[in-house]
Amino acid sequence: MHLSNEIFTASADSISKSGAHLYWADNPDKSLADSIEEFGQSAPVLVCESENGLKLVAGHARLSVLRDLGRPVLARMVEDMNEADKGLLYLTDNLQRAMDNGMRLKALEFFAPLMDEKSLKANILPRLGIKPKSKDAKLLLGWLTMDQTWRNLLKQGNIPLASATPLSRMTDKDRQAVEPLFTGFSWSRSNAINVLNWLFETAKMNNQSVQDVMHTAGMVKILSQGLSPKDAIARLANAARLARYPELTKLQDRFTAAAGEITAGTRWRMVQPNNFETGGAELTVQIKDAEQLKRAVEEMANLADAPAWEKLWKLGSGND
Amino acid sequence: MTKQLPSHLRKIGHVFVDESMQDSPIANRVRDKLAGTDQANIPWTVVPPEQDRVEFDEGDTQALYLKEYKGKFLRFCPGTRAYHCCGYRIIHIGENCPMACSYCILQAYFQDRVLKIWANQDALFTELGNAFGADPNTRYRVGTGEFTDSLALEHLTGYSHNLIGFLQDYDNVVLELKSKVVDLTWMEATTRTDRVLPAWSLNAPFINEHEEFDVSTLKERLEAARTCAEAGFKVCLHFDPIIHYPGWCEGYAEIIDMIFDYVRPENIAYMSLGSFRCMPQLNPIIADNFPDTTYIYNEFIPGLDGKARLLRPLRVEQFTFMVDRLRKHGMDKQLYFCMESTEVWNEVFGYAPKDFGGLGNRLMAQAFGE
Repeated sequence: MHLSNEIFTASADSISKSGAHLYWADNPDKSLADSIEEFGQSAPVLVCESENGLKLVAGHARLSVLRDLGRPVLARMVEDMNEADKGLLYLTDNLQRAMDNGMRLKALEFFAPLMDEKSLKANILPRLGIKPKSKDAKLLLGWLTMDQTWRNLLKQGNIPLASATPLSRMTDKDRQAVEPLFTGFSWSRSNAINVLNWLFETAKMNNQSVQDVMHTAGMVKILSQGLSPKDAIARLANAARLARYPELTKLQDRFTAAAGEITAGTRWRMVQPNNFETGGAELTVQIKDAEQLKRAVEEMANLADAPAWEKLWKLGSGND
Repeated sequence: MTKQLPSHLRKIGHVFVDESMQDSPIANRVRDKLAGTDQANIPWTVVPPEQDRVEFDEGDTQALYLKEYKGKFLRFCPGTRAYHCCGYRIIHIGENCPMACSYCILQAYFQDRVLKIWANQDALFTELGNAFGADPNTRYRVGTGEFTDSLALEHLTGYSHNLIGFLQDYDNVVLELKSKVVDLTWMEATTRTDRVLPAWSLNAPFINEHEEFDVSTLKERLEAARTCAEAGFKVCLHFDPIIHYPGWCEGYAEIIDMIFDYVRPENIAYMSLGSFRCMPQLNPIIADNFPDTTYIYNEFIPGLDGKARLLRPLRVEQFTFMVDRLRKHGMDKQLYFCMESTEVWNEVFGYAPKDFGGLGNRLMAQAFGE
């Protein structure tokens, strides 16, 4: 591969801006368009010769802006390059961009057919900010084996990278069942991992399919209710948790109800500190002056008479 | 026709021996036991003194490593303060187990297929002699089944046979041999039926069939217990781990009833009940090694010691069912929980260890036949 030192001018329309190596090609943002309009093109794009004329190697956004403005393009010629070289030059030219896992996956999808896994790990992952032996490296390479539908969900930011692990434990049928959870909403890492694990584990424990677990848990119905993403995710996660931990969830609900009765109208907060491994509760209060302290002590004295304590003492004992 | 080793020893395909242990009685016994079997020609590798571990990875094949152990042989059980420990002392004779039980913690401790035996028994006996002989009035309840199965390698090593012979001179020591196989050759080594407690783990038949591999059947274990009882020994039986699976009521009822077809309550020194619990890193190992295992997906919560434990009401439900059934068969004070909380003791038994002077004291008395 050779980059010429010479910068030349070409018309924007004479440069083809297609090719798999432009794997992060996107509409240019307004700040770049404003900058080029005000100051002109400060860095040349990279091009190569093809049978059909000049072909863009790197500089997609600049070329798009200049084409829209009807201005000529400053370019540098690259010679003697293969497809992987094009991808590497494009990557190098775009290293200043904030990279997310969807972008990393797009780059890996381009390079994977062109080299073996060892080269992918050694030569590409570090350029994507990933240590070759890291957990993220393993996860990203795992995503390469997933169906295109799932890869698109990662690229769209709907599903987090770490979901590869629970998804890889599922059958194709189970993966199909959970797909609707991610097509319309963007999930946080913890919610996505928890829900996928809870569904998989409940299905295993009950010898059911994930689809059956979702139906029984009411998750299919929740999906059809047209809720906002925030509400839908909260309800879906709660339903999956209830399916996975029915007894614990019931205990927690009863604890929350009793704690609410006891502490209503006070500054005191109550939690069960150890998943009911022992009985009882932990009470906390936040105070910032002597007056608040005095009031908290009075409230505490009144709390002790609440009848709901009787419900709470035996929670988790098996005799409640 | 060549002989065969017991089925649980047939995966042993290599022997490693420390250079210093080549002529030890244990090494010679292993050679003698292998001779004439279809495993007679398995390779032996001498491990030089500067090498502190062996690497062995041949798929399913296991290696036996006769090692000169430099650590402490007599240890405390690694119980935690958050739950009541039985106070048992461990005689450390080796590490790892040839059998395969899905729930076994040894999978997390020893992630290879090397079965280690401490072949320097003279050093073991010296340390034990110093400890047990220091004060004849200090009593010890000891066992070898913590980091290995007490009897799994007995056919090859005769380890327990030697140990029992050595302990004949110590009236203040009771040895418990905890196992899932049947090997009663150690019985020839003692006349003190009151100082050895043969013990077997039991489980629901479904768990035995689906989660325990290369082990003796429940019937074989109970027949062995009966043989020991008839010879005058008290036996111990252990339900650990109790597993919450669909059909557990019927399963545990069946094995509890079955026990008393073979032994009477008065033949049993004590019986433990312990719910399945594990350090969190064991779960993915179980999922990998035993993909059909499902009980790991039950309602486990982090316990007070950081280990995953079944949610307390589910444990109490199982324990109550089992204890009620065992009580109907005449069991009572011999029953105890392995690593349970005061809450669970009170909920199931109606009392806790502090009410009878502590679990360790009670079990010590029962071990010594009081």
